[in-house]
Amino acid sequence: MNQKNNLIIGLIIAGVVFMSANVDADPRDFVEGLPNIGIMLQEITEVDSSLFVTAFWSMLETIQMAFIGTVVGVTIALPLSLLAARNLNNKFVYIPIRALLAAIRTFPSILWAILFVIIVGLGPFAGVLAIIMYTVGFIAKLQYEAIEAVDIDPMDAVSAIGVSKLQLIRFVVLPESASHLLSQILYIFDYNIRQTSILGLVGAGGIGFYIINYIKFFEYGKAAVFMLVVLVTVLIIDWVSVRIRDNYIIKSQRGMQVRV
Amino acid sequence: MSLSKSSKVKTLGKSSAIFTKTIVQMNDVSASYDSKNYVLKDIKMSIDRGTNYAIVGHSGSGKSTLLRLINGMMNPTSGKILVDYQTPNISDKKFKSFMHKIGYIPQNLGLIKNSTVLENILIGALPRVSGFNSFLKKFSDYEIDNAKKILKQVSLEDKADRKIYMLSGGEKRRVAIARALVQKPEIVLADEIVSELDHVTAREIMDVLAEAQATMKLTSIMVHHDLQLALEYADRVAVIKEGEKILEIGVEGGRIVDFQSGNYTQREILEMFTNESKE
Ligand SMILES: Nc1ncnc2c1ncn2[C@@H]1O[C@H](COP(=O)(O)OP(=O)(O)OP(=O)(O)O)[C@@H](O)[C@H]1O
Ligand SMILES: [Mg+2]
Repeated sequence: MNQKNNLIIGLIIAGVVFMSANVDADPRDFVEGLPNIGIMLQEITEVDSSLFVTAFWSMLETIQMAFIGTVVGVTIALPLSLLAARNLNNKFVYIPIRALLAAIRTFPSILWAILFVIIVGLGPFAGVLAIIMYTVGFIAKLQYEAIEAVDIDPMDAVSAIGVSKLQLIRFVVLPESASHLLSQILYIFDYNIRQTSILGLVGAGGIGFYIINYIKFFEYGKAAVFMLVVLVTVLIIDWVSVRIRDNYIIKSQRGMQVRV
Repeated sequence: MSLSKSSKVKTLGKSSAIFTKTIVQMNDVSASYDSKNYVLKDIKMSIDRGTNYAIVGHSGSGKSTLLRLINGMMNPTSGKILVDYQTPNISDKKFKSFMHKIGYIPQNLGLIKNSTVLENILIGALPRVSGFNSFLKKFSDYEIDNAKKILKQVSLEDKADRKIYMLSGGEKRRVAIARALVQKPEIVLADEIVSELDHVTAREIMDVLAEAQATMKLTSIMVHHDLQLALEYADRVAVIKEGEKILEIGVEGGRIVDFQSGNYTQREILEMFTNESKE
């Protein structure tokens, strides 16, 4: 530790304190508010059990939206990532594609949702379109980075046979980057379920629609039921994707059988 | 090979024998990666069809670079190269179709680790498969039979469905050889394919290649670290030292038959390599 480091750390801490005061983030409010959790938990026990059924169906809608968004988004992202990879294209191709992807990524999904609500109206379709956009921007970037990291040796050896670019992609690029892609798809699906859960806040379908409305009418117990369902669902999906990852990705790295 | 060539063969009559003899010709070829330091200098080389040609030299002498000039993966800084009467260049459509006929086994093999042995060697057949079928990874029965026949030739018939990462070093080299042979090549370029193997395995692999060369009547150009191995298997051996070809010898039945070197005696050459193997 030298003095310069100490000074920097001190400045950062001072900055956090100062900015907290600025944005009115007072830790005392948090401590005072803690008992509210107890009230909310108590309210959960008082809600009608039929509400869980509603929560279940709206969660199912959320999962379906996330699933469609993920599948369509990945399908669009894959060819874009092939066009954006510097080791497969010249700069007249990859620069515009990269610019397009960067533009898509500037919006978080909730802003895309607002935009699509304006275009196609309220409802799940706007949410699905928002998830597609987010998935395209995100997966295409991760995937073109994975493609650029593909081992140069097989690329070189297969190019030397004089094969076409599509053959090179099919026989070298895709197999060599498939395990990356699988792990990214699992991650984005998981993430998309969480994202879709809040798109209802702007009227783009999914479980968030109920949550925001109950909160508006101070029915915190009912809102909490829906949040609980989201929590449980996300935990289950998380557990399933860990299993899939273990089965396909970890095994392939350790040298066990994997089907691509 | 183009039509114009076969018509020339007819019109030239007897002299066509000379015309078709040379498959690789280098005139004063120099190469550099940074246009300052020359990795190869004024290389002259003429390789006849069907020759088993070996290139020997110490690490960093430019052997791999020389092979990459022959298959057009790299262009010379100056000088002229002709391979099958064309200037090698991967961007040239016409030469690209001759690349189908050049089996290239790079120093690091370049296999696709997550694919099976069979998938890897079928890559050698891709030039004969339509774009659509290759996208579906669909190969004709003929191609699959042929690939399996070649797997047998390299003694890997029972490993067709294994992934590459499950193979030993020697087996991986056999896969790379098989991929090259599936191409039905006219030339095979092999870069230090047995350098890291023990003597027994190295000779097994060299025997596989020698047999393939004899039955398929191909020209092989192999890079070796070990002069002894080169003398044992090659018809002609070129020695490269710091980017210059210092010697070329003909070999028959393991004996040196013509020794052409201005600056070095036979003994100096042998010492150059025995010293290295002692290191
Ligand atoms: N891609 C590259 N960029 C720059 N320099 C390179 C490149 N590849 C090789 N070189 C240099 O060119 C020289 C010759 O390399 P080359 O790989 O042809 O040697 P080699 O005879 O095959 O050596 P080895 O027996 O170690 O494989 C070396 O000095 C090397 O550092
Ligand atoms: Mg080398």
